[in-house]
Amino acid sequence: MPASTTVFQVGVDIGGTFTDLVAFDPDSGKVLEAKSLTTPDDLSQGVWNCFARSAVAPGAAEHIVHGSTIAINIAIEQKGAATALVVTRGTRDVYKIGRQNRPEAYNFSFARPVPLVPRSRTFEVDERLSATGERLIELSPEDAIAVARAVRDSGAEAVAVCLLHSWADPVHEVELGKRLRAALSGTYLSLSHEIVREYREYERTSTTVMNAYIGPKTSAYVGRIQERLEADDFNGRLLIMQSNGGVMAPETARKLPVAMMESGPVGGVIAAADLGTRLGFADVITFDMGGTTAKTSLVRDGDISIAQGYHIGGYASGHPVMFPVVDIVEVGAGGGSIAWIDDVGALKVGPRSAGSDPGPICYGRGGTRPTVTDANVVLGRIGAESFLGGEMPLDAGAARRGMEAAVGEPLDMSPVEAAHGIVRIAAARMSLAVRGVSVQRGYDPRDFALVGMGGAGPLHAVEIARDLGIPSVIVPNLPAHFSALGMLMADVRHDYVRTHYCPLPEADYAQIGSIYAELLATGRDTLADAGIGETARDYRRSMDLRYVGQEFWLQVPVTEEDIRMADGDSIHRRFTQLHEHRFGHAAQDEPIELVNLRLTAIGARPGIELPKTEGASRHGAANTRLVFLEDPLNPADCPVYQRPALAPGARIEGPCVVEEYASTTVLFGGDVASIAATGEIVIEVGEPT
Amino acid sequence: MSPSAVRRAQHPGSLDPVTLEVIRNALPAISDEMSVDLQRTSYNMMIYEVRDYCTALLDTDGKLISQNIGGVSHFVADLGVIVRDAVERYGRDGFATGDVLLHNHQAVAGQHLNNVVVYTPMFHAGELLAFAMVRAHWVDVGGLSTGFGAGWRAYDPWSEGLQLDQLKLYEAGVLDEKLLRVIRDNIRFPDNAMGDMRSQLAACRLGERRFRELIDRYGRDIVLEAIQAFYSETEARCRAAVAEIPDGVYRAESYIDWRDGGYDIKVEVTVAGSDMTIDLSGCSPQREGGANSRTYAGAYIAYKAITTPLEPLNEGAFSALEVIIPEGNMMMARYPAYMSSWSMPLPTVVDTILLALADAIPHRVPAAHSGSLGAALSFSGHDPGRDRNFVVMSIESGGWGGRRDADGQDASMSVCQGDVRNAPIENMELKGPVLVEERALRPDSGGAGRFRGGLGVQTRLRSLVHGRLNVASGAGGRVSCPPWGLAGGKPGEIAATLVRAPGDDDFHAPAEPKPAWPADTRVLYMTAGGGGWGNPRDRDPERVLRDVSEGYVSAESARDDYGVVLSPDGKTLDIDATAALRERLRKTEARQ
Repeated sequence: MPASTTVFQVGVDIGGTFTDLVAFDPDSGKVLEAKSLTTPDDLSQGVWNCFARSAVAPGAAEHIVHGSTIAINIAIEQKGAATALVVTRGTRDVYKIGRQNRPEAYNFSFARPVPLVPRSRTFEVDERLSATGERLIELSPEDAIAVARAVRDSGAEAVAVCLLHSWADPVHEVELGKRLRAALSGTYLSLSHEIVREYREYERTSTTVMNAYIGPKTSAYVGRIQERLEADDFNGRLLIMQSNGGVMAPETARKLPVAMMESGPVGGVIAAADLGTRLGFADVITFDMGGTTAKTSLVRDGDISIAQGYHIGGYASGHPVMFPVVDIVEVGAGGGSIAWIDDVGALKVGPRSAGSDPGPICYGRGGTRPTVTDANVVLGRIGAESFLGGEMPLDAGAARRGMEAAVGEPLDMSPVEAAHGIVRIAAARMSLAVRGVSVQRGYDPRDFALVGMGGAGPLHAVEIARDLGIPSVIVPNLPAHFSALGMLMADVRHDYVRTHYCPLPEADYAQIGSIYAELLATGRDTLADAGIGETARDYRRSMDLRYVGQEFWLQVPVTEEDIRMADGDSIHRRFTQLHEHRFGHAAQDEPIELVNLRLTAIGARPGIELPKTEGASRHGAANTRLVFLEDPLNPADCPVYQRPALAPGARIEGPCVVEEYASTTVLFGGDVASIAATGEIVIEVGEPT
Repeated sequence: MSPSAVRRAQHPGSLDPVTLEVIRNALPAISDEMSVDLQRTSYNMMIYEVRDYCTALLDTDGKLISQNIGGVSHFVADLGVIVRDAVERYGRDGFATGDVLLHNHQAVAGQHLNNVVVYTPMFHAGELLAFAMVRAHWVDVGGLSTGFGAGWRAYDPWSEGLQLDQLKLYEAGVLDEKLLRVIRDNIRFPDNAMGDMRSQLAACRLGERRFRELIDRYGRDIVLEAIQAFYSETEARCRAAVAEIPDGVYRAESYIDWRDGGYDIKVEVTVAGSDMTIDLSGCSPQREGGANSRTYAGAYIAYKAITTPLEPLNEGAFSALEVIIPEGNMMMARYPAYMSSWSMPLPTVVDTILLALADAIPHRVPAAHSGSLGAALSFSGHDPGRDRNFVVMSIESGGWGGRRDADGQDASMSVCQGDVRNAPIENMELKGPVLVEERALRPDSGGAGRFRGGLGVQTRLRSLVHGRLNVASGAGGRVSCPPWGLAGGKPGEIAATLVRAPGDDDFHAPAEPKPAWPADTRVLYMTAGGGGWGNPRDRDPERVLRDVSEGYVSAESARDDYGVVLSPDGKTLDIDATAALRERLRKTEARQ
C-alpha cells in the first residue's frame, strides 16, 4: 500500500452486530465510513476488516478512538476471570448479602444478583480502620503474607481488595497490594481505593470486583489492539472510549476497564453536545433510535449529564458500579419492536424485537410479526422503494397484510389505523423516556432542542417533540453514523472522588484544598499519559452536599477560589438554589453537610470541523407520495426530498419527507425546516393540529 | 371471548386502544415519579432506605388510580378509606385548591401514628377530580414514637404520639400557623419531620401537576373513562390468574408469639371460578399488645403476588377479591386499641395464606420465609466526642423459602418490604459512634430441603458510647412456629437478638428490654432462615457438596439432614457411603 500523506482521525466502534469505522480527513473535511460484521472470536479482526474496507491504513491515522463492548460482554456473559476477593474480618459476606432489597416487591421468584466471586474464594484479613481513618486493628505483615498465599492457592486469575473505610485511608490496601503482587506475579489486581474512593462498602466492593473480573481479558484485548496497530506502522495515539463520555489512554484502560463498560451509546451524546453548541442550541436532548431500543440523554450548556453510578444488568438484579456514566435512559422501543395484543386485548409495542433476523415483515426474510418499521412502511413514512437508497426494496404489501392479521382484525381496526396506533404507542413510550431525562431531573423539555439520530431517530423525532412541546428538532448529517463520529470529538476525561464527611460550616478548607490538590495531581499525570499538553488541561471541582438527615446529595460545582476563600456561604447558597430548582423546595436556614469531593480532569482534544456543505443543485422534491401523519383516515400528499440535493439555506415545509441513504426524516404539517450551513436539518416544530 | 370482543366489552365509546395504552403507561409513571422525588429529598432513613412510604393518586370515590411499587408493600391500596372518610366529613364541596390535609388517626388510618398521610385535592375547571397522596413514616410524631415507632413501649394511642385527624394544614393556600406550631412543639427532631412533610407536599404537587397535564392533553372524559377501563382490565387479569387455581376451600394456620400471649393466624381461602375470598375471621381478636391494625394488607399482598406480581397497581387489582375481617379482629381493631406494632403480623399472615394454597398451586408457592420485618438495628444517643445527637439504624432481613425449582434467596427483605435496603456499615459508622464488627450469613440457618431455604444474617454491633439500643428479637413472633418447610422440607432457623454488656461472659438473650446500655455493649442480631422445599434426601449431592465447600451448610448437617457423606477433608463426595446412608435414612423414615 502506498504511504499516505493524509492524517486521518479515526473512530472505531464495536457493536453487538456491526463494527463501524469513520475516518475524518481534516484537510478535505471528508468523512469515510466502513462497516463490517463484528467478529466475536477475535474482536480486533472486525476492526482490521473495517480498515481494509475503508482503504485507510492504520499507519495513516493520527488518532484512533476506540469504543468496544468487550467489557460489558464479559460481564453479561459471565466469562470473566476466576476472581478472589480480600476483605476486612467480619465482612466476608457483605458482597453476597448486598443491600438485601427486592425491587420486584410482589414477585416470589425474585432473584438477587449472583456474585462474581464465590464465598470460597473470599478471604478475610485482620485489620480495621474507623470512619475517620484511625487504625483500630493494625494489619500485620504476617497476616498480609498469609492471605496473599491463600489467594495464590485458590487459583485466582484476578484479585480484588476492598477493606472497610479504605476511602478514608488506603494504608492497609496499599500494604496488602504489595504483598499480593509479591506472592502472585501475573495476577490481575484491583484495590478499591484506586478504583473509587467513596464510602459504601457493598457498592465499592461490587465495582472493584467487576474491574478485577473483566480485567485480564479486557487488558489483553487492549494490548492486542496496541500490538496490531504497532505492527501496521501506526505511530499516532490510541485512545479508548469511556462510559463517562471521555476517552483515556490504553494504559489507563488496562488498569481501569470498568470505566469502559457503558461506552457504547455515549458517542452520539458527545456529538450532539458539539452540534448543539455549534448551531446555537446549547441545551439539547438526544434521541437515538435503532433496531431494538431508543436512548435519550440531556445536554445542558453544552455539558453532557453524568450519573455517579448505575447497575450492570439493571437495577433490580444487577451489579452496582459506582462509576460515572453518561446519564442515558433507554426504552425497548426500536424499529424492530414487535406489536402484540395481550390476553385482555390491550395493544402493546415491544420490548421484544424482531432484530435483524428475521427482522420486520417488510424485509421479506421470514418475519411474520408486525414491527414499528412495518407500521412506518404501511403509513408511507418509510419509502418501500427507496429504503437504503433503493438497495433493499421493502415488501409493503406483506407489511400491510401482517398488520391486518395480527393487529387490525383482532382490534377491529384497518391496517393503517393499526399502524398509526403502533407508531403512536412507540412514540409515547419514547416520550416517557425523554421525560425521564428532563422533567424527572427538573428540566423542562420545552427549553431544549431534540437531536434525532440513529437509523430511526429522524423518523420519530418530530412526533416526540410535538408530544412534549419541544420547539426544535435537529437532524445531523450522517444520522446513522453519528455515534461513531462523536467518538472523534470526545475529550480525555477522568473523574475522581473522595468521601469527606462533615457539616459544611465545620469544613476545614485547608484540608479540602489539599485533597483537591491530591486529586488534581493524579488527574494531571493521567492526562499527561494520554498525551494532553499543559494548556489543554482543565479541572472541575464539585462537592456532594445535602441537608443534614438526607441521604441523597446534590453535586454542586465549586471553584478553586471558593476553597481558597473558604467561602462556605456562597457554596451553601448555590446548594439551596440547586435544591429549589431540582425539587421545587428548599430550606434556607437548615444545616447542610458535605459528603464527597469530586474533581474531573479534562484534556481538550482538537475538535473536528465538518466542512460547509457544497451548494448542491437547486432543491426541489423529486416526487410526492401519500403519507399518513396525524390522521389515519386521510393521508397527506407529501413532497419527498432527497437530502443530498438540499442546499444550505434551503427551506422546506411540512408535511414532507426527506430521504437519505440510511435514514428518513418526517415533517408534519406546520413544521418548517431549514438547512444549516453545515448541512444539518433544523426543524421548527409546528403546533399539533 | 376473542380479545377484540373483550376489548369492545371493556372499552365502549370513543376511547381507542392507542390512547388507552398511552394513558396506561402515563399513570404509573406519575406515582413512580412522586416516589423518586420523595426519596431524594426526604430527611430520614425510614423513607430513603426503609422506603416506608407510598405515593398515589386516588379518585374522589377513594378508588386507587395508581400507586408506586417498590416501597413497603403493606401500604398496598390502603388510602381509599382516608379519602372516603374525608369526603364524608367535608363533603365533596368542602375542598379547595391549595388545601393540604394531614391524617394519621387510627380510627380510620389503622396503622401506627408515625405513618402520616399528607394529601391535596386536585381540581380541573373547578371540579374536584382526584387526590394526590403521600403516606410516609415520620421519624417522630411525639409520644414514644421515635425511630421505628413506639413498639412495645406504648400502652395507648396517646402514649404513641400526636393524633392528626383530617386536619387542614393549609386552607385554600393559607397556612394554619397555629396548627403548624402545635405539631412542631410536640415532636422531637421537628426539622427532620418538617423537612419530610415538605418533601411529601412537593411530591403531591408534582402528582397533581402531572395528572392535570394528562387531562389537558386528552380531555377529562377520556382520562376518566380510561381509568375505569384500567380497573376492569386489571380485574380481568387477576380473574384469569385465579381461574387457573382449582376451585375449593383451602385452610391453613400458624402462630405468632407475642408478649400479650400470642396470636392465632387462621386463614380460609375460597376459590370459586375467578372469584377468591380470603377470610381472616379465625385470626385472634384485638389485644393489649399493640399488634393491632385496620388493614387488608395481608390478604392484598398475597393476592397480588398470586395474580399479577409485576403489573402496576390500581383499584382493579383487588375488585375480584373479597376479604373478610370482622370488627374487633386484630386486623380490624376498634379505636382506641393502640397500633404501635401494627405491621408485625403481616409477613406471617401472607405466608399463611400462601400455605393454604400450597397444595392447590404447588408450583407457585414457596416454603415460608423468615416471616418478620427483619431485625431492626437501632442505636441512638449523644456523641460527646462530636457533641452531636445521632441515630444509627438498619434493617437486617432473613432467608426466603425454597421453591419447587430453586433454593430460597439468602438475606432478602420480607414480602412486605420490597425495595427496602439495609444501611451500609460505612454509613452507620460515619453517622454515629458505633462499630459493626460483623455482617455475615448464618450457616445452617436455611431449612434443609431438596431446595434449601435461604440463609439468615448475623450482624454484630458494638456501641462506643452510652446510648439507646434496640435489642428486640426481630423474630416477628415466629419462634414456636418457625419458618416452615413444604413438601417434606425442614423449617428454617429462628431469629434471635443477643446482648453482651461490659462484664458479661458471653452473649445472652436480654432479660428485659431496657432501652439504655453502657458503652462497649455488643448486640448480635440474627435473622431467620427460610424453610426448605422437598425432602432434603432428594437434594442433588453435588449441590450439598457445594453448599459445604462454600460454608453455607456444615458437614454435620450434610450428613444428618441431607444424608450426604463427604471425604474427611470435605472436598469430595463419598458416593457409596452417601447412597448407603440415604437408603438407611429412607427406611427409618418409612418405619416411622
